[in-house]
Amino acid sequence: MSQEVWAFSESDSVANETLTAAEEIANAISGTAVALLLQADDPGRASGGKRLVIKTSGPAPDSPELAAEAISRAARQGNPSVILVGGTKNGREVGARLSAKLTRGCLSDVAKLTSDGKTLVGERGEYAGKVQTKVAADFPCIATVRVGSYPPASGKEGETSEMQVGEVQAKAKTLSVNKKPAATVDLKAAKIIVSAGRGVKKKEDLAIIESLARALGGTLGCSRPLSSDLGWLPEDYHIGLTGLNVKPDLYLAVGISGQLQHVAGIKDSKVVAAINIDKEAPIFQAADYGIVGDLYQVVPALEKALASRHR
Amino acid sequence: MKVAVCVKQAVDETELKVGPSGTPLIAGAATKVSTFDKNAVEEALRLKAAAGGEVVIFTVGPADARKAMKEALAMGADRGVHVVADTERFDPMLVAQLLAKAIQKSGPYDVVLCSEGSSDTYSGQVPPMLAECLSHPYAGYARKIELAGAASKVERALEDKVEVVECPLPFVASVVSEINEPRYPTLIQIMQASKKPVEELSPQALGVLTEKTLVRVESMSAQAMNRKRVLIEGTPEEGASKLIEALAKEGVIPG
Repeated sequence: MSQEVWAFSESDSVANETLTAAEEIANAISGTAVALLLQADDPGRASGGKRLVIKTSGPAPDSPELAAEAISRAARQGNPSVILVGGTKNGREVGARLSAKLTRGCLSDVAKLTSDGKTLVGERGEYAGKVQTKVAADFPCIATVRVGSYPPASGKEGETSEMQVGEVQAKAKTLSVNKKPAATVDLKAAKIIVSAGRGVKKKEDLAIIESLARALGGTLGCSRPLSSDLGWLPEDYHIGLTGLNVKPDLYLAVGISGQLQHVAGIKDSKVVAAINIDKEAPIFQAADYGIVGDLYQVVPALEKALASRHR
Repeated sequence: MKVAVCVKQAVDETELKVGPSGTPLIAGAATKVSTFDKNAVEEALRLKAAAGGEVVIFTVGPADARKAMKEALAMGADRGVHVVADTERFDPMLVAQLLAKAIQKSGPYDVVLCSEGSSDTYSGQVPPMLAECLSHPYAGYARKIELAGAASKVERALEDKVEVVECPLPFVASVVSEINEPRYPTLIQIMQASKKPVEELSPQALGVLTEKTLVRVESMSAQAMNRKRVLIEGTPEEGASKLIEALAKEGVIPG
């Protein structure tokens, strides 16, 4: 029997990326990719030629706790060689729980997966992006796949089978889910990001950075202190290791010193430019172009220079 | 209210050096208590301030991990439990098993806190694994914790939503850095930290085999940062127009 590579994510868009990763592994080991669906999921998702619907009784398996329980039971029956889980925050919890429940190794938040049919190898950024580490686990194993590291699957039609795994119960109960306001930013899709850091002296001064962002047709972002410590901007503006990973054409860091945690989130930018008053600021090591100067003078000058070009 | 906090002695990523062959020099690198663990310690101290009780720090690591333990104790925790295990890099499942056994041995605890991930390897696997090993309810990425016995609530900060979950005590939670601002210990607290009791346990005493790992490292290489690093000189106006010119040439701003 051919080895199966299962793919799961609770998020529709990430599910299709995860399936691409599963198809690549399945091709490499002459196995079969299987798209997992929990009963409540969107049946319109792509399928890798095969689709497995895991049916439970009891509450809908819509939390990482319940999803992990349902998938672990299915895995004991179907015995897949690899289970890939989309590396969202909830997905990483599902992966770790599966690892504990099934005593199978879990590669956390990996990209560039390869396999020889016995071992799964993946790459992950560590030490705030300073190091690329190859990690491996022997079959049968699990991996959570870094979000954005694979394109979405094309969506072939496939056969659907069902597996009943019985009743699942949760120890923690979800009381409410509040979508963060959609009106805020989509930094992941932004082509130009102008990002503010500690060099900005007060909240009101963000207006000049925002104005430059607008003049460039870009989006405002920030480093961790501004969102997490000072609360000047919502968390969804926060770029860095514990915030967003972005990949714009242009990333302009204004008044950002360039701690490793921040640089980890901007590595994939095409061009990085930086403005900082401190010549020794580490951001200049991580930038293509740097201006050493007072942002309160340079930012308005940039806006002026832009305006005169368009005239 | 007894609160257990798990901390890790992490490699200080800012001090990490690269060897001549491009291999990062992990062994012998400078270490510190993992950055986000301080948020977990802070939250535990706040829970204790509100409800009374005790805060106990748990760590798994070589004898040298006593340093991270001391940093956490200096913030105001009462005592520590150190599982002394001499491995350079740990398998998350192994760490979770060691922590779970140590917590069970010295417990019971009402709340077990971790951070969302360590500042060095940031795999974030230990907290949910620990919840599995302890068979406790779990709330990951907590940005607010409200204790009320069986009706305790945790606010979880996810990518595009905030979720409130009911977590009956005892539970495990991992916290995000936005939950609080960790305090700085005073000089006196730092000095007193060395006198606080730390119990040392061995993996053998906890009945956990440290040879059995599920995940291994194949290789590590330093990430090349291939940026041009052009510094633009001149007055703000000159700098601004040179930068705009360079960016237009790169084709990253509309022409």
